[in-house]
Parts: sequence; C-alpha cells; structure tokens
Amino acid sequence: MISPRTKRRLLAVLLHGVLGLWLIYSILPPLMLLAASFNSTALFRSPLDLLLFREFTTENFSQAFTRGAFWFFFRNSVIISSAAVVITLVVCVPMAYGLSKITGRARSAVSFGVLAMRFIPYVVLALPLFLLYVNLGLAGSRAGLLLAHLAIHIPFATWMLIGYFDSVPEELEQAGIIDGCTPWNLFWDVTLPVVRSGVIALAILVFVMSWNEYLFALFLAGSDAQPLTVGITRFLGGAEAGAEYGVIAAYSVLVISPVIVFALAANRYIVSGMTAGAVKG
Amino acid sequence: MADPRSRFTRGWWFLAPGLVLMTLIVSVPLLMAFRYSVHRVFLYRFDEQTFLGLANYLRAIRDPLYVNALKVTTLFTLGCLVLSIVLGLLVAFALSSREVRLRPAWLALFLIPFVVTPVVAGIAWRFFMWQQEFGVINQVLGVFGGPDPYWLLERETALIAAIVSNSWHLTPLAILVFYAALTTIPDELFDAGKTDGAGPMQSLWYIVLPMLRPHMLFVSIIVITSAFREFDMIWSLTGGGPGRATTVLSIFAYDRGIANQDMGMGNSIAFSMFVIMAVAAWIYITVYRRVLEHEE
Repeated sequence: MISPRTKRRLLAVLLHGVLGLWLIYSILPPLMLLAASFNSTALFRSPLDLLLFREFTTENFSQAFTRGAFWFFFRNSVIISSAAVVITLVVCVPMAYGLSKITGRARSAVSFGVLAMRFIPYVVLALPLFLLYVNLGLAGSRAGLLLAHLAIHIPFATWMLIGYFDSVPEELEQAGIIDGCTPWNLFWDVTLPVVRSGVIALAILVFVMSWNEYLFALFLAGSDAQPLTVGITRFLGGAEAGAEYGVIAAYSVLVISPVIVFALAANRYIVSGMTAGAVKG
Repeated sequence: MADPRSRFTRGWWFLAPGLVLMTLIVSVPLLMAFRYSVHRVFLYRFDEQTFLGLANYLRAIRDPLYVNALKVTTLFTLGCLVLSIVLGLLVAFALSSREVRLRPAWLALFLIPFVVTPVVAGIAWRFFMWQQEFGVINQVLGVFGGPDPYWLLERETALIAAIVSNSWHLTPLAILVFYAALTTIPDELFDAGKTDGAGPMQSLWYIVLPMLRPHMLFVSIIVITSAFREFDMIWSLTGGGPGRATTVLSIFAYDRGIANQDMGMGNSIAFSMFVIMAVAAWIYITVYRRVLEHEE
C-alpha cells in the first residue's frame, strides 16, 4: 500500500517531468539557432555536436553584420516598431477610455465593430495597398508600411484596453467630478494612472507584433523600408544548398533576441495583456 | 444642454477621433480590395481596368487550385486548433497543480515560442527540426528506431510539419489562458466534489471543463483567426510546397496577385478570406453571448 505522502511525491515528480519535457520542446528551436550560430558551418552533423559548441566561432555573426547589412534592416525595424507603439498608444488609449464610458446600444455597436476588425486577414489589407502604393509611387516608404501596421494594431489595442478601463469603478470619477475635475483631468489624472499596467502591456505587445511582422513588409517595403524579417529571408535562397545556415542562424539570433529579452523581462505585463479579454468579449 | 462631464458626452469626445481614424485606415483598403476583386486589373497596367462583376470569384471557385488552397487552409486551421487546445489544456493542468514549484518561472519560459518571430520560427524548424538527416525530430525518432521521412519534401508530411510548427507558436496562448482560468477555480468547489465522492477524473470532467468553456471558446477563436490567415511561418518553412501541399489561401493570393500580377484575382481570393472570417466572427459573437448568458 502506497502512503498518501509517497503518492504526492510521485505526482510531483511526474508533473515536473511533463513540464520539463514541454520546456525542452518550447525552447529547442531557438536553442538550436543559438547553437548553430556559434558553430562553424562545416560541423552540422548532429544536434548534439552543435549544442556542445564543438567548433566554436563568431564568424557567422560578422558575416551577418557585413554581408547581411544588419544595421540597415535593424534601423528600419526599430523606427517602424517604435512609431507603431507611439501612434497606437496616442490613438487607442483615449479611444478605449471613451468606449468604456459610453453605454447601451452605441457601446455594443462600436465594440462589435472593433472586434470584427480583429478578424480581418492581413492579406486583404496588404494586396490593395500594394497595388495602390506601386501606382502612386509610395512603394518602399516606411510611412506606407506603418499605415498597414496601424490597421492591425488599432482594433487589437482598443479591444484589449477596454477590459482594463472597464475594471475602473465609476465612483472614482464621480469623486473627481465633485472635486471639480475637467473631463481631461478625469481621463489623465484620475483613470489613466489606474490602468497604467495595461498601457505598458499594450506597448510591449504592439512592439513585439510590429517587430515580428513579415507579410506587410514583404508586400509593401519596396527596397528602402525593409525590416529585419525581410533582411533574413534574403539568405534563404542560398541556404537551399545548406551552405549558409550558420549565417542564417546568427541572423535569426540577432532578430529574436530583443523579443525574447522582452518576453522574459516584461513577463508580468505580457501575461496580463494576453489574457485581457479572455473573460469577456 | 448636456453637461460636458456627463459620462456619455465625455465618452464620445474621447472615442470619436480614434473611431474615425480606425474606420478610415481599415475600411479604405478593404473597400479597395473589393473594388479590385470585381475588376480585371493587372499589377503594372493599373490604368486599364475593366469591370467584370463576379467573374473573378466564379473563376476562383472553378479553379482546382483555389479549392486546393481552401482545403489546405481548412486542414491547417483545424490541425492547429486541435493541437493547441489539447496540448494547452494538458500543460495548463500540469502547471496549475499545487505540487508544482516556481510556477511563474515555468510560465515565463513557456511563453517564448509565442514571441519568437514567426518567419524565424519557420527557419528554425526547417533547418534544425525537420531536416531529414540531422534534424532533431528524425534524430529523436531514430533513437526509438522510428522512420526518418523527408518531412518537408513529401506532400502529406509537409502539411503535418507546418501544423506542428505553427502550433508550437500558438500553444503558449492556450496554456496561459487556461492556466489563468484554472487558478481562479475556488478550492471549495473541489472539496465539495470530493465530499460528493467525485474522483480526479470526474471532477476534471464535471467541474473543471465546464468552467473552462468560455476560455476554450476564446482560445479557439484566436487560434482560428491566426491560423486561417497564417503566411509568415509557412512561407519560410515550405514556401507553400512541395507542389501545392502547403499553399494556404494567403500564399495563394500572393501567388496570383503579385507573382502572376493578376491583381483582380489576387484581391478576390483575399476578399473571399475576409468573407469567410466575417461569417466566423458573427458565429463566434453569437455563440459567445449565449455561453456567457448560460454562465449567469
């Protein structure tokens, strides 16, 4: 007969085993990139060889920086992602606040519209914009690319923030009105500080979404506005031969490092942002 | 005259500018897409447009390649849905147990696949996971004496590989939402179940799963919309091949609109995706309201 205590121990071991396996599965693909990026390309015989760094080199990274024109693409990525965050916040924070204030039929109509826009496939925005830009001479401008990003971010951000604003009790603002606050004070000084963590979460998620975006960039970036996601795919042709995967891995590591650092450092905010809206539509 | 500080008036002042901007930014491309979809228009002959009515759509429906793309997209979406829900539930159950230590740390690490750039994830899976000779998958299968297929070079396995790779990216969302929901179930509920003589399986089936219903619906709709429009991951993983085995609708629209320069056709494929998603959105909102009412 197994005692309840042993049973609990066994359960704990089993659970940690399952979680450990899942952890390996979760981080193995990026880990392989890291391993391959620091090994000489001649080596790739088995994953184990790579993970043990048997032929350590930093040559792949210098190739990625020089031949891959890393800084050119990096600059575009940083500019587009930062601009997307700033504009999305300026537009969506007041908008979501306003939406959480109105009531009744108007509220359900507008929130339905916002939610519906979240379902739009990217390609249905990218194709007509591409045709327009090519023929208006706008192809290859960062502003044009940014506009497409905003078409995705604004509905997403508004939808995500409503939940945060809805959780602020109306009594708080009633007290503000008695104290003689203007509408702007009510928004800026009374309510906004309460939802600060939601705004931070949103800024991080929008940055990650813009940083990772590829489809719009492929369609709309021309040759001047290409971000890192386009920069890396330029190597894929040569990689068919398998000769370039060390450089590709190094490039990949450079592209995903910022977002992984974000995910770990700002974990609390990402968790709160991703689950916002899970409880209600 | 309404008080400018009344709740409703205040709300509209803040809401209106953003609402106008959002409507413009989203609806202008959408309307253009519809316009092009009912015209004959080619990429570099923009000035010669002729009205075709629904001819592009009729041509698409009769095109076996469109039907194939629709089929591939459906299989891909359903595959991602099933995998991410099942795995997400499993991991969330394990993680929410009180026997597990350092739960926030596990959760933080489990989030990594969700933030990895999809194009890069496709590259990682293609070169280091599915690669036939030295890839991790076949190396592990080899230990157990399993087969060593050319995953990305055969039609059936390429679609499976695409589904698994994309689910790797989406499952963290499911884990996160289910885990957050599971930790809010009060212990009293389980204690009550135990008093009534429910075993672990019964309390899972009769207490936990019904409580997770709205969350499953939420995860489903996010996974469905995301997988249905997926482009990046498949593009760098297989490029839509071999043949057309992983050519989803997004890739097919690119193929027709940009590679073939037939913008009328490309836009009608894209717009048909929008229509399918609009129907899905309508179903989701209706069902969701019913589930929430049922809860109350």
